[in-house]
Amino acid sequence: MIGGIGGIGALQLKPEIGGTDAATNLFQGGAAPLTGTDIGTTFAEALSQAASKTVGTLQNAEQVSLQALKGDADTRQVVDAVMSAQQALQTAVAIRDKVVSAYLEVSRMGI
Amino acid sequence: MEPVNLFDLAAKQSQWLAVRQSAIASNIANVNTPGYTAGDVEPFDKVLDRTAVSLNATQAGHLGTAATNAGFTVKPEEPTGSIMPSKNTVVLENELMKAGEVRRSFELNTAIVKAFHSMMMMAVKS
Amino acid sequence: MDALTAALKVAASGLGAQSERLRVVSENLANAQSTGDTPGADPYRRKTISFVSQLDRSSGGSLVEVSSIDRDPAAFPVEFQPGNEAADDKGYVKMPNVNVLIEMADMSEANRSYEANLQVIKQARDLISMTIDLMRNQ
Repeated sequence: MIGGIGGIGALQLKPEIGGTDAATNLFQGGAAPLTGTDIGTTFAEALSQAASKTVGTLQNAEQVSLQALKGDADTRQVVDAVMSAQQALQTAVAIRDKVVSAYLEVSRMGI
Repeated sequence: MEPVNLFDLAAKQSQWLAVRQSAIASNIANVNTPGYTAGDVEPFDKVLDRTAVSLNATQAGHLGTAATNAGFTVKPEEPTGSIMPSKNTVVLENELMKAGEVRRSFELNTAIVKAFHSMMMMAVKS
Repeated sequence: MDALTAALKVAASGLGAQSERLRVVSENLANAQSTGDTPGADPYRRKTISFVSQLDRSSGGSLVEVSSIDRDPAAFPVEFQPGNEAADDKGYVKMPNVNVLIEMADMSEANRSYEANLQVIKQARDLISMTIDLMRNQ
């Protein structure tokens, strides 16, 4: 996961090979290796996939937690779901921060 | 069913658990009182069915009812097993087991609230 | 008063009642052999304790109180001890109506109830602490 965030910092997207599990790695399943001309569409796809995966993980965590509060959910499942959501959210926030700071940097560049 | 606010439900459950804890405390304190009947709160899902309307709060920050016991009635349980000559129906082992359940549920409740609260703070911080 | 504080109050009343009970039991045990000083006099009469539950309006819990400490009306057993100062003209002494085995059983039950109340206090305190912890480490 750290490798994934580091990759964003350099504005390079490499598909993660092995290592982290599917719940936390938001770029698995679709981010094609980059070619020089395709950076724009691939980046947008990757971002939107990351966003929807985060939302899905968060919703799952909320559902499982609601069940647990009502009284019938397995404790371990709740803990796993909530931790996955935290990891996903943390990743998404890191991405957002990097994207924002990259945009600001680009906008400051002279023409 | 309309979406239920997670923090509202957690607040409701933690109130219910606190009332249950005080019912258990009353039972244990009166374990040797002649004629005392053990009591317990009504089950949580009954409480939810009754107050289903008020739980559909979708305004952020709406924290539901104030911290009073007014939502949950404590009813005497039906006595099971042998009847003591003193007519006291408290079984100490059951009360201690119930106390353990309350503790576990309360820990899960506070852990869930803490986790989701920190997630919200994370998303809001720049 | 919120429910967790009410639980603390109720459990504290339980501790008070059970320790009263232990005091009565230890008095009985200490005086299990206390005969009178004059011939034919009555010995120590066993004490008994009664609990009653009291509904507390402010907290909604059932406190427990000692309603009374009475004397056991059972008859005194009699032993043959001609040398005792309390011996009547036939040499019989009235002994306290205390049965040591019963008192020991009572004492261990009082201990058990005391421990259970103590556990309730510990748990209620922990639950309150967990709630306050939600605010910490932000």
